[in-house]
Amino acid sequence: MEKKEQTPEATGPFADAKVLYTLPWSREAITDVAFIGNERVAAANKRGEILVWNLSALDDKTTDPARLLSGHTNEINRLLVTPDGKTLISVSSDHTVRYWDALSEQGETGKVVLNGIERKGVVPLNAKPPEAPEPIEATVVVQKPLRELTGHREWVHGLAQTPDGKTLVTGDDEGVVIVWDRVAGTERRRWQGNFWVRALGVSPDGKTVAASEYFSHRHPEKEKDSYRSFRFWDVETGEPKLDCSEEIKDTMTAIRYSADGKWLAVCVGDSGKEKPPGKVMLLDPETGKVILDLEPPHLLGATDLAFHPDGKHLFSSGRDQLVKIWRLEDGKHVRDLGTAKERGDWISGISISPDGRLLAAADMKGQVVVYSLMAT
Amino acid sequence: MKVHTQPGNCRPDQHDSRRNFLKGTIVTAAGAVVPNWGALVHSQTIAAEAKRLGKRCIMLYMEGGVSQIDTFDMKPGRPTAGPFRPIKTNVDGIQVCEYLPKMARHADKLAIIRSMKTKSVDHGIGGYHMHTCYPQSERVPHPEIGAMIAKYCDNPESDLPSFVKMGASGNYGAGYLGPKYDPFVLGTDGRLPGFTNPSVKPEVQERRGELLKFMEDQHAKVHQARPFASVREAELRTIRLMRARAAFDVNEEWEKARERYGDTHFGRGCFTAVKLAEAGVSFVEVGQWGYDSHNDNFSCHKSLLGRLDPAWSSLLEDLQVRGLLQDTLVVWTSEFGRTPLINSQAGRDHYGRAWTVVFAGGGIRGGQHYGASDKDGFDVAENPVSEGDYFATIYSALGMNHRKKHFLGTRPIWATPEGSKPIKQLLG
Repeated sequence: MEKKEQTPEATGPFADAKVLYTLPWSREAITDVAFIGNERVAAANKRGEILVWNLSALDDKTTDPARLLSGHTNEINRLLVTPDGKTLISVSSDHTVRYWDALSEQGETGKVVLNGIERKGVVPLNAKPPEAPEPIEATVVVQKPLRELTGHREWVHGLAQTPDGKTLVTGDDEGVVIVWDRVAGTERRRWQGNFWVRALGVSPDGKTVAASEYFSHRHPEKEKDSYRSFRFWDVETGEPKLDCSEEIKDTMTAIRYSADGKWLAVCVGDSGKEKPPGKVMLLDPETGKVILDLEPPHLLGATDLAFHPDGKHLFSSGRDQLVKIWRLEDGKHVRDLGTAKERGDWISGISISPDGRLLAAADMKGQVVVYSLMAT
Repeated sequence: MKVHTQPGNCRPDQHDSRRNFLKGTIVTAAGAVVPNWGALVHSQTIAAEAKRLGKRCIMLYMEGGVSQIDTFDMKPGRPTAGPFRPIKTNVDGIQVCEYLPKMARHADKLAIIRSMKTKSVDHGIGGYHMHTCYPQSERVPHPEIGAMIAKYCDNPESDLPSFVKMGASGNYGAGYLGPKYDPFVLGTDGRLPGFTNPSVKPEVQERRGELLKFMEDQHAKVHQARPFASVREAELRTIRLMRARAAFDVNEEWEKARERYGDTHFGRGCFTAVKLAEAGVSFVEVGQWGYDSHNDNFSCHKSLLGRLDPAWSSLLEDLQVRGLLQDTLVVWTSEFGRTPLINSQAGRDHYGRAWTVVFAGGGIRGGQHYGASDKDGFDVAENPVSEGDYFATIYSALGMNHRKKHFLGTRPIWATPEGSKPIKQLLG
């Protein structure tokens, strides 16, 4: 394993990155974000709502969303958009996987509340309950899901698809992983792991699923019954074919294959404390061995990963409120977006637009920040 | 904190004197002291009362502050609800968290207090307050509940310690009751410490006892300090424990119980608690560590409730099957609750304004709620319960006088503060 820690450059890739929009939605903590094409951004929250913003409609006067996708009855944990940009897919703690029309603007008109009780980092001991603020409402088009997949019986956190959009993989807190025919919405394979599948990735050829499982991440040295694993599963047989649990013992929060299959990136650190830090690692997709342990890690747990469409860079987000940019070739730390905080409102998910020009980051405080990554 | 170990600070009938201490020993024909652990701590009156009561208590202590909204006081549909969902129980009108499905089948045994309103909302002071009934004070060393129950409910004829702790829950000691009532602390999984394996034969141990007694008597002629008794007490406890250690050996039975209780430290601790209660131990505390979830509250509680549920429900089942439940009060508690508001790190923080404890078993009428929090769980809406009321209810359920007066020197101290009232609605 090699460690890479270098000083970010003042110039070079993404040196001109800047905040383009800040989209407030403090109704609840935002859990994930996904670009729909280059012009739309979807974000999901812990209330089970999804909002879609049309970026071209935003200006200095309004940051209101255009659509509310309504149907989930519990927290939404992950989002993705199919490669054709037509379908948004969400997984939730209501045990379902839902498909949504990513492009349609049709639907009934409704209202959505954009604000809520302010969530503080840590509430003062026995503090009096805060006053609920006057609601800030926006007019939106309300839409229902196209399809609901009900194969899970527990919280669904794991979500990945192949680059051709034909295979979808989901994983839940019962340890169940399901490989779906994405278009038909039917199960092709399922297998039973041991514990919570909170992160998984599928290889571009659709033959391998890398899945992290864990149970009780809190001070494992105090409990003999903590569990972690990182295994590669054969989609054809539904059997594990490689066990790398000894290689990486921290809890993984995201696993991503690059579209060309050359890289497998993972990030770890499901903790609000300094140790273990939010490490980001590049693995050999075939052996699961750590090739590069990227330095410096996020101060607190890392939360999400995204490969840039240029095929040269990896982005990671963390509980330290940073988006970190890494160069794949040598693991160099290119730069950070945002300002690090040791006790902040962590960034829960990131997404990069297909043209690579924009990045959206959602945070637990309740806002989506859209960055321009390129000089305009 | 020295005052409780000073000799002569209390009247003999109010606190254990050296004479009382020696009354509890039996001198053999050889002159060796064969201590009777239980009798050491009892006057004849108290011993008779304990026999009459035949009560025990098992406390399940959720270290770190367990969330009421994510367990027994759920707020579905409210902004404070979180991702857990309520499920029905075997009692109409009582719902519990979906991750307590086995406990849902025991709701008819549970008395759920949803209106705890407590003042000490940090770990050290909260743990102290919820173990002793009093806020932490430099001046008065209050005994923790296990010591108090050991004093008044102990079986005087038992070789076993009367107050056993395992798992994480803090150790607040016997305070003004003296070192005789200090807890005997096991490993987190209920196993005995290694020192309890005897290194010498019983006759050698007996000779050592004779020598120790001789030395003690000589020393006591010129030194009246209580710490001396404390040292002797520790020796006696060890000897007695070695004799009674078989009661702690649950290895064989655990193999059969493991699946029901869950193969965890807490599960094994609960199983050991049943065995100890069956053997006559008056108070057993089993701690489950890790509820302090300022971040990731829901993953934290989900994993911990997954271990709590099989262990607690099996404990109730086994107490019932063995005919022990009617005389064994089971208390589920913590140092405080957690905030209704979910913070920006998916956590809940410390909270004492409105939270929940649960009673079951001996002396308790199950299948009911007592008190209520408001719609979002921010405050108590009806029947607030203080620390004193909570302790008074426990003591009353066990047949003890919750206003029992003790003395620290000449200063009177009551088991619960003035104004504390047992919740009669809960008492069977």
